[in-house]
Amino acid sequence: MKTCIACGMPMEDIADFAANDPSKDYCIYCSRPDGEMQSFEEKKESFTKFLVMTQGFDENVARKIAEGMMRKLPSWEKYFD
Amino acid sequence: MKVNTRKIQKLNTRKKIIETAYKVFSEKGFSVPSSIIAKEAGVSHGSIFAHFPTINDLLVSLLSDFGDKMGARLHVLAKKTDSVENLLKEHLKVLKEYETFYSRLISEINILPDEAKNTFAIIQSTVAFHFASVIECEIEKGTVKKLPIHMLFNTWLGLVHYYLLNKDFFSESNESVIERYSSELLSTYLNLIKNERRVYE
Repeated sequence: MKTCIACGMPMEDIADFAANDPSKDYCIYCSRPDGEMQSFEEKKESFTKFLVMTQGFDENVARKIAEGMMRKLPSWEKYFD
Repeated sequence: MKVNTRKIQKLNTRKKIIETAYKVFSEKGFSVPSSIIAKEAGVSHGSIFAHFPTINDLLVSLLSDFGDKMGARLHVLAKKTDSVENLLKEHLKVLKEYETFYSRLISEINILPDEAKNTFAIIQSTVAFHFASVIECEIEKGTVKKLPIHMLFNTWLGLVHYYLLNKDFFSESNESVIERYSSELLSTYLNLIKNERRVYE
């Protein structure tokens, strides 16, 4: 099973893939409306917002957690060298 | 061939260390010395450091593995779920499976290094992701009260964690607190968050 290179989510169904395209390596939540993958900054902000919205974390703490998660994912490793 | 055998051996040792650490941490807590993990795993103390230069590296790898396993289980279960009730039932099933380790983790999380804390937050965000997608639909349908998602999520975790953290008060022996109280926890929480009159019945 593929996992999203930008957030680590397992992708099983076609609907999980960006633009319903199973050849893509990233998921629907990491893509822009046109199907392209979000940028580093866009992903960081969207994950931060997600943490605040679903778990109520402080925004700055949430941003640090988002960076910590992204550090371990293939798409974003290079941003932390 | 030789290289492959060595690589497999290396991976097996790593796996053995992580599995043993999972067991030892569950039983004795996260401040147990690495020498005990080495002894239990039947590997040399140096071997642990060859795989994990610091105890923090071991802890973070273990938590990531744990999070992947728990996340994958929940992901599969959540896909089949269209109601908050069924999702929370599945959440409790997964927690029951990992109850000893999970209870230890939530009781010691505040003394763990930041990286481990963040890994734990990421594990919870997988749960929160499935929770949010199901509960948003229920709020829209009018079956769940219109409350902030994070408060609905944190109230659920707060309730479950309270029982896990105070296991000694809620059970006498080694029985699973989740097993004993899951239906009461679930029905109470649902009564708190559900609208009295369902819109679509």
